[in-house]
Amino acid sequence: MKKLEEKIIKKIYRIETKKTVGQIINEAVLIIIMTLASMFMFSVIVEILNEQTSFDLFDFLRDDFETIRSYFVNNLLLFVQELPFPLIYIFFALLLILIWLICISFKNYNKVKNKLISIYKFWLK
Amino acid sequence: MAELSDKDIIKKIKNGEIDHYSYIVKKYTTLIYKFIERKLFKKDEADDLVQNVFISFYKAIEKFDEKRPIKPYLFQIVQNELKMYYRSKKPTTSLYDDIYLENDRLQDIIDDDYLSHLNQVERNILQHISKGYSYKEIGKLFKKPINTIKSIVRRGRLKLKKIYEKT
Repeated sequence: MKKLEEKIIKKIYRIETKKTVGQIINEAVLIIIMTLASMFMFSVIVEILNEQTSFDLFDFLRDDFETIRSYFVNNLLLFVQELPFPLIYIFFALLLILIWLICISFKNYNKVKNKLISIYKFWLK
Repeated sequence: MAELSDKDIIKKIKNGEIDHYSYIVKKYTTLIYKFIERKLFKKDEADDLVQNVFISFYKAIEKFDEKRPIKPYLFQIVQNELKMYYRSKKPTTSLYDDIYLENDRLQDIIDDDYLSHLNQVERNILQHISKGYSYKEIGKLFKKPINTIKSIVRRGRLKLKKIYEKT
């Protein structure tokens, strides 16, 4: 009976090791992909705004307070109008997915940590 | 470890402390093994079934409500495993192409005008079978997968059987 128990436990650990390692790799790969995609999208948006010289709309911020106060809303609205909205939507979608993935990882952190400790104890000690 | 209740152990396993699963295995293996052993034709297969039971339980542990007792749940898994075991041991006969041709009664039916009750495709396929074609050859002729041919033949046979029984 002892042999059978050991066999079962060994099988369980084998399954769990595969599952946990797979989960960690999947999550890490997804987070990296989402981060890179978000960064790429952000750089594209900044590049487009640079080419449109949209950032020049904020040059007035170097002026005195009175000028800033009178032009702020107008220039901000103009800047918003010049934004490449489809790309902005994609960027925010990617960002939301990234935040969601990070939240899930944080939520599962303790569980995964405990699993890794158990796996380490079983296989390596 | 001995002080922990099943409920606490399940909670801990759900929290990732999988080393506590050994407690469940040690507590219930003998009981389940003896139960399964009594129900099997070959005693040496009990080991595999017990393993499957504990693996299934482990896989389902995330959804398992820790307020419920473990034993009935484990025995439910045992029942399912036994059902699958009996099903796998059930004697089965594989269907070969020639089985149809060996059936004289159906051969007689094909010779009669019963075939007119079938649709065109079924009729054609059954006629080819009566001529000695294999399913594979018919599949090629009709440009249909072999499993489709088998289904059509089966359906045709059932229809013929019904008509034959009525008359």
